[in-house]
Amino acid sequence: MERRVAFESSFAIAEAVKMADIDVCAAYPITPQTHIVERVAQLVANGELDANYIPVESEHSALSACLGSSAAGGRTFTATAGQGLELMHEVVYVASGMRLPIVMSVCNRALSVPLSIWGDHSDVMSVRDTGWIQIFAENAQQAFDLTLCAFHIAEDPAVLLPTMIHIDGFHLSHVIEPVLLPEQEKVTRFLPKYHHPFALDVNNPAAMGDFALPDLYTEAKVAHDMALRNSIKVILQVWQKFGEEFGREYSPVETYGAEDADILLLTMGSFSEVAMEAIDRLKRAGEKVGLVRLRLWRPFPFEQFRQTVGRAKLLIVLDRALSVGGPGPVCSEVQAALYHLKERPQVIGFIGGLGGRDISVEGFQNMIHRGMDKASQGKPGEIEVFDVREK
Amino acid sequence: MNDITEIRWHGRGGQGAVTSAELLALTAIKEGNIAQAFPSFGPERRGAPVIAFNRISAGKPIRSRAAIAEPDIVVVLDPGLLGIIDVTRGLRDGGVLIVNSSKGLATVNSEIGGPWKLAVVDATAIARDILKRPIVNTAMLGALIKATGVVNLESLTQPLEERFGKLSEINVQACSKAYKEAVVMEYSPGVKKAEKVYPIEKSLSWKELNLGFVVTEMGNARSYRTGYWKSERPVRDNAKCIKCGMCALFCPEDCIHQDAEGYFEADEFYCKGCGICARECWTGAITMVEA
Ligand code: SF4
Ligand code: SF4
Repeated sequence: MERRVAFESSFAIAEAVKMADIDVCAAYPITPQTHIVERVAQLVANGELDANYIPVESEHSALSACLGSSAAGGRTFTATAGQGLELMHEVVYVASGMRLPIVMSVCNRALSVPLSIWGDHSDVMSVRDTGWIQIFAENAQQAFDLTLCAFHIAEDPAVLLPTMIHIDGFHLSHVIEPVLLPEQEKVTRFLPKYHHPFALDVNNPAAMGDFALPDLYTEAKVAHDMALRNSIKVILQVWQKFGEEFGREYSPVETYGAEDADILLLTMGSFSEVAMEAIDRLKRAGEKVGLVRLRLWRPFPFEQFRQTVGRAKLLIVLDRALSVGGPGPVCSEVQAALYHLKERPQVIGFIGGLGGRDISVEGFQNMIHRGMDKASQGKPGEIEVFDVREK
Repeated sequence: MNDITEIRWHGRGGQGAVTSAELLALTAIKEGNIAQAFPSFGPERRGAPVIAFNRISAGKPIRSRAAIAEPDIVVVLDPGLLGIIDVTRGLRDGGVLIVNSSKGLATVNSEIGGPWKLAVVDATAIARDILKRPIVNTAMLGALIKATGVVNLESLTQPLEERFGKLSEINVQACSKAYKEAVVMEYSPGVKKAEKVYPIEKSLSWKELNLGFVVTEMGNARSYRTGYWKSERPVRDNAKCIKCGMCALFCPEDCIHQDAEGYFEADEFYCKGCGICARECWTGAITMVEA
């Protein structure tokens, strides 16, 4: 029987990890990810999850240990956040280059200085180019579902790439909500066994993480890039299968009330639900607005994205990261994706929700109106930081 | 020749090809030219084939930093390279090839002649005689200057002094001797390059790579014949050898193994002639001789 429980996203993820019956979790606790790894450790200690939990001395070691276990053919999970992801950075590239399907939850957190334990997407942007599949969850249920799907996607023989599930620090990691938990039997049936074609084997030795001269490095990078781009096919298949089995649908670019909207707002992560509320209110007031939620951040879903937003007049993009001295990272990517279209919406970017700063429903209403004003005044270019005190 | 003279040096790690290129650039710049010197960047290993490059111009700015594919001049420091590397690849018609060899001009020409000027000098003999070591780079600079005149012989003295300090005098001697002894065969148009097949390593496309760049042929270094690299080989005097195994411990190729009588013998297939065993042998049982 499906169970309805009250869980924060952290516990929902730990539950998905348990049901996925992982072999190894190596992790180092860091706020706001702590609840996930504590819970996994507890499940292992209680005997509810038959896995090796490896406590390590740093995030660099955590992911390094995961490399070993995944390369040996073990289903492997870890989690981190903010500064922890930064300390792990070097190994993040290694995991994807070696094509090891580790699943990692990232509880999105701002980066020092100033020191902040609160949420934003600075850490996401710092690992943008690391070659992992990256997916955003918006609530605890999605955190559970997408973590489960992540193992399926990552370990697919046509993919074999590590996968990050992003959840907003505190706004998701620490907020209790209702979550539906499927039966273990159904999950077991849903998730195939993991097999790596070059799994470490003393009788069949192989060298991983080797060295490439300039003559081969480009080819190796292109092979990785093509694998990541092509993974979208499997992502679509797995989400479709999940929908059929469990009744909840996911897709790379999702919308809310966007069908006949001229004006679209684009968000990623938990703020999408806040924005939905703002869209409802504006629609009731007769405004033709809608919401686009980018669920799949890597590989960037170019085709789905262009289809979804191509016909709108105005696209307002919220970045929860500030690229110091540069454009909003999501905004510039969106602009690049649209640049070649004959007809494309005007794009206006805002930066907000930094270091745990809330954006309320009213805040999103104001942001949309502010974007419309800028568009009508013909001043789309300037980057604007939303809700910043000028004096 | 073009506005920019392009030179490619072929040698082995430890023979001084990179130093030659550097000294040539220093000299050319000192003479008021514009010049460049650079090695083919990569992992360094004594005895491994290496390439170094020069570009020299009287006034035209040198902008390319790419490896030289179509040189005007090729200098070969190690005669052993001729059989295994296509040293004249891309050498322009009417260019100059300078080879270190004891075989003499006619033999070298029959092996590697083509539509270029050829200069041959026994730089190893000169180096052994004057420097007491087979480091041929300064001698080859002398031969290069004789065959091409890219710089003046006298201009080289100061860079040599700055580089070699106390040893500069003998290096100047080696250089001058090679300048005198190098024999030159002028370019005759229409001559064809000798047909010869060199082993080519095929480069893989991205589709041919293993997932995750995994290498599955374990121990494939075994087929790598580092023995091709040597210009000297170790010879042991059994009267002095006490069978201590110190030489085997220090051999970077791990190619010295104990035989049935208990002596430590170098495997010719892998011994690259680095001379470390001779230096480490504390009874002086090993001497390096010409390979
Ligand atoms: S180091 Fe010298 S004395 Fe010792 S085994 Fe080798 S050759 Fe003989
Ligand atoms: S046997 Fe001696 S010369 Fe040969 S590679 Fe080993 S140490 Fe070098």
